[in-house]
Amino acid sequence: MMKSWDRLIELLRTSGADAWEAADVEEKGWEFYFIRRRLDQNRAKRVRNFDVRVYRRLEDGKYLGSAGAKIPADASEEETRRMIADLCRNAEYVRNPAYTLNPPVQAEKAETEKQADVRAISAGFLHALRSVPETETEDLNSCEIFVSEIRRHFMNSEGIDVTEVYPASMLETVVNARKEGREIELYRLYHSGSCDETQVIRDLSETLSYGRDRLNTVPTPALGQADVVFSTDAAREIYDWFITRMSAGAVFRGISDWKIGQEVQEGGDGDRVTVRAVRELPNSSRNTAYDSEGAPVRDLTLIENGRAEHYFGSRQFSQYLHLEDSFIAGNFEVTGGSATAEELRQGSCLEIVEFSDFQVDEITGDLAGEIRLAYWNDGGKRIPVSGGSVSGSMRELAKTMRFSSAGRQFDNYRIPEVTRLKNVTVTGIRETK
Amino acid sequence: MKAPFSPYLNELAPGLKKLIGLLRERYDYVSVLSTDSVGFQVRISQRAKSVTRETMTTERGTVVRVYRDGLYSEAAFTGFDPENAEAFCREITEELDAQLELLRETGTQPYETGILPDEERRIFVEMETERLPETEDMAALVTRLSEISDEGVRTGENLIDCILRASSTHICKLFLTERQDLRQSYVYSEGGIAALASRDGRTEMAYTSVSGRCGPELFDSLRDKLPEALRIAEDLLRSERVEPGEYDVITSPEVTGLIAHEAFGHGVEMDMFVKGRALGAEYIGKRVGSDLVTMHEGALCAVDVASYAFDDEGTPAGDVTEIENGILRTGICDALSALRLGTVPTGNGKRENFAHKVYTRMTNTVFDSGKNTLEEMIASIQKGYLLQGMQSGMEDPKHWGIQCIIDRGYEIADGKLTGKVVSPLVMTGYVPDLLNSVSMVSGDRETFGSGGCGKGHKEWVKVSDGGPYLKAKVRLG
Repeated sequence: MMKSWDRLIELLRTSGADAWEAADVEEKGWEFYFIRRRLDQNRAKRVRNFDVRVYRRLEDGKYLGSAGAKIPADASEEETRRMIADLCRNAEYVRNPAYTLNPPVQAEKAETEKQADVRAISAGFLHALRSVPETETEDLNSCEIFVSEIRRHFMNSEGIDVTEVYPASMLETVVNARKEGREIELYRLYHSGSCDETQVIRDLSETLSYGRDRLNTVPTPALGQADVVFSTDAAREIYDWFITRMSAGAVFRGISDWKIGQEVQEGGDGDRVTVRAVRELPNSSRNTAYDSEGAPVRDLTLIENGRAEHYFGSRQFSQYLHLEDSFIAGNFEVTGGSATAEELRQGSCLEIVEFSDFQVDEITGDLAGEIRLAYWNDGGKRIPVSGGSVSGSMRELAKTMRFSSAGRQFDNYRIPEVTRLKNVTVTGIRETK
Repeated sequence: MKAPFSPYLNELAPGLKKLIGLLRERYDYVSVLSTDSVGFQVRISQRAKSVTRETMTTERGTVVRVYRDGLYSEAAFTGFDPENAEAFCREITEELDAQLELLRETGTQPYETGILPDEERRIFVEMETERLPETEDMAALVTRLSEISDEGVRTGENLIDCILRASSTHICKLFLTERQDLRQSYVYSEGGIAALASRDGRTEMAYTSVSGRCGPELFDSLRDKLPEALRIAEDLLRSERVEPGEYDVITSPEVTGLIAHEAFGHGVEMDMFVKGRALGAEYIGKRVGSDLVTMHEGALCAVDVASYAFDDEGTPAGDVTEIENGILRTGICDALSALRLGTVPTGNGKRENFAHKVYTRMTNTVFDSGKNTLEEMIASIQKGYLLQGMQSGMEDPKHWGIQCIIDRGYEIADGKLTGKVVSPLVMTGYVPDLLNSVSMVSGDRETFGSGGCGKGHKEWVKVSDGGPYLKAKVRLG
């Protein structure tokens, strides 16, 4: 197969393209599917493709056109040549303002080979799932384990030639809890690099306890406006809104109107976020030394104490915004909170730990989600509730949000352990007295 | 013209048949699915343009399914060499054996399943299309889309950008067993206009879309959707928040489709019955909606992006009546779940692509039409909303909850549209309550196939859904 990659590079070099990028991506994966404790199916995969993009300089370099394709690694020489010629033609119709591709720059602490033993990682997940403390009334309904070793060799016409090998894993679980003939389920999807058995057992044990509580819920009261506390991975959506609005693509396309130096939470008395793109987080599935375009990944502060500091993003949009040495970030860390988790749970508040789906619109900042399990903390009582929904806009809620100084990691995000949004609209299904 | 079947797959077929023969020496059942699907996606905006020869469903690869001792296993790979079937047979068995060794070490037992039947069957289908994505004049398409984008920002008030998307895919799939040889080729396309508008510090995105089981000729009429996109953008910019509460509403066909999909689309995927994850299993033959509610699901019940000839397990396409006059009749089922449940597969076994597992998945999910007119329905409402446009939805088959994020609600007061718009809307509730509240159904219907459907939060496939206008009572927030 090496021969087909070498042939592809040679064809790109002689294609007439003014510039090109190519990635040889090979994934070796093992998958295991369980219904209760029984194996539903085992699957193995070995998939290889070439991701190719060719560029044409147009009108004396005023514009740069590009076209991309996934070329099968088993394509014949004739087919590959035809596809590249087709891309070169298509690139001429796509007139974008000129920019240049990444030059070769050595990444800090570049590791070209990481441990990615799919058998050992799979064994870790299998062992962890057997160690989850199930009971007669709370257990695992079904699980799906996905473990991959990904080998990515990236080259471009400017001289970049880097190879990285890394693990990527995913675990989907459904937890059941039952009582007096009634059964409920909770859904979880975890991403990680390899398997952290301790983390898997801890997260699933927490989910089992939520299952117990969901059986004892009462309808969510129609609160009108209430403070809402987030302490599970749904909070990533909140911080992702800040991150997206600092991406060069969103700024250039007009989706984000945030300017460097702007106070992005101006007008309130809440905690000010500090958001950093970080090169590595423990066991993140996004720990690579280079981004998908061959730029070295490094630590970069995007927002400092609520003030926009640096945009980040792809080579094209970064150059349009005149950014130096930017990159496509994969890991993020959010800090800046002043309170403890306990302080943030004080007073009347609705702590939502299970949504059917929680989303924050990247353009409008509108947030919405249906409540499947929450705790209504009021007058010293902590009452499990379900049903109804929350809505609001991050444009307003960001001004007064509070969050904990202690953090918690969800794959490629390390975010505050607890986040409290004030005056969120809560559409309950039970009238309050 | 007919969409021609892939010459690449025709060349692979003899080698794949040899591979099946070799694997049958070790396994009791062997099937192979090979895919060779090509396409393009064009995205044009005022600020950036892109062309790729890749869509959500372009792929080339092979997956082998084998069965022995009550267990099904699969191996997916690229680069099959028809001259070297022996080497691929060796690699597949070694890899699967290595997995089984690990499973033995952990004391894992299989979920015992019977063997799939393998009856003689031949299908060769090349469906009609006017044009093919692989030979489309991309220069002309880019020019046409650019002109629409230019017209959008020129004529639309408050527009920052007008983004055009056009995607077309030529699907070719080959399914083989010892006794079956199924080959299908068809083209589907989808496109849309997104109008990005901003006024007084408020930014909104308005969407309109088109889709069909057809070629890039679909985009010849995309310009017709521009006025609608511009109007929606203006509506969103002047929209207000809804007062949370329960309302009489009329759902437009797009919102009706979202309800069909999230309520009793996912709710009767029968692989969830096997896992005990769907409440629907206990309600077969029971009332789940009003007499006016009838719902169909299947690749044959509409012509849109998911209207294939056979599914990814070789089961011919079907048309299932899921709900008939409010009574839940049956669900949809992939082949392995059908074996486990003692029923028949319905042609709904689908993969995200060759490298992914089969699950029970939707194709076209559509409410049947009724006899009312939209005007009658509006006139019947004292206070409520006409709901239009969808943003997202989330299924809950275990508890029959429903969450739909609706783009816009147009206020109705005293039987008339007032011109007031609310946005966005979170529609939540209990599925049978919602379907039992359906009191009027319009005589027309429409399907929508733009976008993708996930199972949980992964496994994305193409589906369409739709229906007529429905009058119902829902909770909005």
